[in-house]
Amino acid sequence: MTDAKRPRGNKLSEPEAIERAKQGDAEAFEFLYNLHKRRVYSLCLRMTGNTASAEDLTQEAFLQLFRKISTFRGESAFSTWLHRMAVNVVLMQLRKKNLPVVPIDETTEGEEEGTIRKELGAPDERLAGSIDRLQLQRAVDELPPGYRTIFVLHDVEGYEHNEIATMVGCSIGNSKSQLHKARIKLRDLLRVNRAEKAGKR
Amino acid sequence: MNCLQFENTLSDYLEGARSSEQQAHLSSCSTCSSLLADLNLISAEALSLRELDGPAPRVWNALETQLRREGLIRKPSRPLLPEFLVRWKTGWLVPVAAALLIAVGIKLYQPPKIGDNQPIAKNNVVRRVPVAPAVSVDDKDIMTTVAARPPAQVAAYRNDLDQANAFIRDAQEALKNDPNDIYSQQLLINAYEQKQMLYRLAVDQSDEQ
Repeated sequence: MTDAKRPRGNKLSEPEAIERAKQGDAEAFEFLYNLHKRRVYSLCLRMTGNTASAEDLTQEAFLQLFRKISTFRGESAFSTWLHRMAVNVVLMQLRKKNLPVVPIDETTEGEEEGTIRKELGAPDERLAGSIDRLQLQRAVDELPPGYRTIFVLHDVEGYEHNEIATMVGCSIGNSKSQLHKARIKLRDLLRVNRAEKAGKR
Repeated sequence: MNCLQFENTLSDYLEGARSSEQQAHLSSCSTCSSLLADLNLISAEALSLRELDGPAPRVWNALETQLRREGLIRKPSRPLLPEFLVRWKTGWLVPVAAALLIAVGIKLYQPPKIGDNQPIAKNNVVRRVPVAPAVSVDDKDIMTTVAARPPAQVAAYRNDLDQANAFIRDAQEALKNDPNDIYSQQLLINAYEQKQMLYRLAVDQSDEQ
């Protein structure tokens, strides 16, 4: 068992905490929350780009988890179960707010293709080898919501396209093409940010 | 293959479907190889965003409140016993608690003397049974028992007793408002157990000396 799976003082392991949480043990709930809060909150924050929403969604995701914890039988990893639940909570919220889960705007697609072609003529400004984590975080926050969803689910959270297609409700092909456009858009945003930074110096 | 054709198949290339034409184009085109390197870099760096931030403490506070409200939390989170006491086996608590209660009862009960015409203060006796006084007679006795020990130990006993009494009072106060509150009932039981254990420790260690 990794250190992350054990709390301070080696008092509790994740499987023990799950069993104790099923009995309503507050310490076990807190332990499980502390173990997974960063990952869940980061997911919510990356997908919404808003700290207040991310906090609300984190709370909602854990609430749903703890309501259903008695049904957890260990068929999948606990973290997998939790993260899937968190993704569903976020997607439901995005749909409620009528935010696009997948971008289907033809105009936007045209713009993206133009961007790629335009960038192909600027070989000097390559990013390779030097992306700051904070820069990337900002660029992801600037992505249109639909692109952001697919990028976060695939590249950050590691879901496969078939899983994303099921969760988001689109085709596998659509998921692939949106991911590609999201990466291209990110590259564009990162290069613009870099150029602005250089201009200020 | 030219740059536009490569661009149109780049998504497949990144997914692993690579053709010899793509490879040939990449080896001869610095623009497309830069684009590919950048996209790979973005994808690789994305993993670092997985656990970048943590939520504010208020998220857990709100969550805990909601869990209690819904009755999902049924056991207290705060360990009422000091760490060193938690390690003790608690199986012996039941007979000790019973013995302690009997001892307290005997001590507090004053039988009427023969020929004494004064009314027996039975009600007073009942009221004097220490439910949760700030400092009970037994607390004073126990402090007297440990008084000869090093000052730090005496202070620790005093502190632990005060803490146990505070927990008892808090729990009783909460139970006045809601006698069916399971959480407060559990708090009360734990607090009494803590106090019994302190008594026991004080007596045992005094016997050893």
